[in-house]
Amino acid sequence: MNNIVEVNNLTVSFVVRAGNLLLFERGSGMMNVVNDVSFAVREGETFGLAGETGSGKSIIAWVLVGLFTPRSGSVKLLGREINFRKKADITYLRRNVGIVFQDPVGSLNPRLRVKEVIKEALVASKTFDRRDHDIRIEETVDLVGLRRSSLDAYPRELSGGEKQRVSLARALVVPKKLLVLDEPTSSLDVSVQAQVLNTLKELKSKLHLSYFFITHDINVMKYMSDSLAILYYGKLLEVGRTYDVVTTPKHPFTARLMSNVPGLKRAERQQEDRLGEQGSSATGCVYSKVCPHVFERCVNSPPMFDSGSGQFVACFLHDKRS
Amino acid sequence: MISNRIPMGLTHSGATVERDLLDVDGLTLDYASVDGRVRVLENVSLRMKKGEILGVVGESGSGKTTLGLAIIGLLDSPPAEIINGSITFEEKNLLKLSAAELSQFRGPGIGMVFQEALAALNPVYRTDVQIRESIKVLERASSMNLSAESENKMMIDTLKDLRLDKPEWVVKKYPHELSGGMRQRVSIAMAIVEKPKLLILDEVTTGLDVYVQNRILSILKDLNRRTGTAMMFITHDLMVASQICDRLYVMYAGRVMEEGNTELILSAPLHPYTQKLFAAIPQGFVDSPPLPAPIGEAPDLKKLPTGCKFHPRCPFVMQKCKETEPPVLETDDERHVLCWLLEKR
Repeated sequence: MNNIVEVNNLTVSFVVRAGNLLLFERGSGMMNVVNDVSFAVREGETFGLAGETGSGKSIIAWVLVGLFTPRSGSVKLLGREINFRKKADITYLRRNVGIVFQDPVGSLNPRLRVKEVIKEALVASKTFDRRDHDIRIEETVDLVGLRRSSLDAYPRELSGGEKQRVSLARALVVPKKLLVLDEPTSSLDVSVQAQVLNTLKELKSKLHLSYFFITHDINVMKYMSDSLAILYYGKLLEVGRTYDVVTTPKHPFTARLMSNVPGLKRAERQQEDRLGEQGSSATGCVYSKVCPHVFERCVNSPPMFDSGSGQFVACFLHDKRS
Repeated sequence: MISNRIPMGLTHSGATVERDLLDVDGLTLDYASVDGRVRVLENVSLRMKKGEILGVVGESGSGKTTLGLAIIGLLDSPPAEIINGSITFEEKNLLKLSAAELSQFRGPGIGMVFQEALAALNPVYRTDVQIRESIKVLERASSMNLSAESENKMMIDTLKDLRLDKPEWVVKKYPHELSGGMRQRVSIAMAIVEKPKLLILDEVTTGLDVYVQNRILSILKDLNRRTGTAMMFITHDLMVASQICDRLYVMYAGRVMEEGNTELILSAPLHPYTQKLFAAIPQGFVDSPPLPAPIGEAPDLKKLPTGCKFHPRCPFVMQKCKETEPPVLETDDERHVLCWLLEKR
């Protein structure tokens, strides 16, 4: 299988004013919100990225559509290395990668009708003849399961599920290779979420798409993704097949995360709070500050160790050489 | 005529027990809007014992938040108008009280934590000012007079109870400077310093990641065990409700479709809507079959169907369902279900 996207040693930094944000050391000028992250999305697969709020998931998504310029590292789309300072490369990126944002209200212009929202994407891409616009919009709307009557509506007149379908239509009106889905269902009710997830799975096989899927809901992640990466304070801790990562997590953080996945049961009722503290360490392993298995080697930042069958883990506990 | 209520004060063993803390009986409520009246709650009955944790689950527009606001008496009238029913808290009908009398019940009687902590907190005051406001309410209600020092201690202790790492730091911050989990805990602190007998929690864990969510749930569970505060969890997240609640009320289109013990509902949901709702939660891995989501869209309260309100989306629909709305049917295991399928023939 070919790789749609290859990301190597991606680092994204924010400028931080002294003491402005709680998490950062006072006076530090730059904060790496995504730190040395490498992964590849294979053709036809759903690559899932999970992590807590603020771990940098959305930042990676935004880099993939050229909304952020990385500080260092490389992003390769279909073998072509993207230079984020070159307009032609950004256009190439956006022509092949679509995005659905988390907030269905904030991501749709309230002053445009649904049709105009979708049309904007067509006009911007300049890939379709103006005369074909209407047909293309109607095709796309049918594809994502929106009623054609909603084309003349304003976003506020639609339900949450319909709004996300509009976002989906806008992302797909120009055919894409990869779709970045940033928490596409986290604001939806369960039954609507189920409908949208079903549509996403259908579209993927129908249009031969690949997905980069972000969510903090592990149940949704299990159901949607083939591969899974776990992000913690901007660092990738574990990457592998979803089944392996969920059933045999290798990193202490992943293990803790998986044991906290809510299910339809009350087994945990009488149990103690099994959650440790949160926090990141500025030096060495990012998880070392709160890790129960911390030992002397953790003062260094661990590289990714291969723990077999395509599961990689950034933890010295899994260094087979030692 | 099928009785829609268990006689008050009776349990399954038949013994008389203490009276319910809260008894909502047949509550029917309308909202007046520009294009007519909308029935938001229809014949909703709900009982709560002291120290019980109860879940009100349903999707957007099912009326769960309205129910919570009605109980604490925060609905503006107009547009809200109570057509029928009563809300009895500690044997007083709250609907008969004046605004001044009602406000006595808020805080130390009934507390509420709202869905959006950012909107619920005042953006121009630091959090200590806001929590102290709640402490003042408690002082007035119990005619105490605490020194600023002990107020401060109470505030910090409460935040520590909620396992906030640096309470002294948090109280000096404005709401926008805090993370979602911290804000949510500050708004919970504002409610619990007043030591309410009943705490209404409206979607308190929505939008928080599993970590913070589990942490807040375990904090609340612990609080319930220690202080006996009864809690009403309003949520659309069935998994949250199933982890913490003793009993569940499943709402749809302003009606309680199914009510009963959490374990019983989880192991064998009786109402087709409840069944669909549970089935819609993804459980398997990527190669699982499509999720059996309920077909169609959420009900439009302005144009509700005749008969059972779920019938257009129900896989087991019968002629009767289209014609007549089912009464509340009681099962042998003390569940109450609004569905003709359970009618004993």
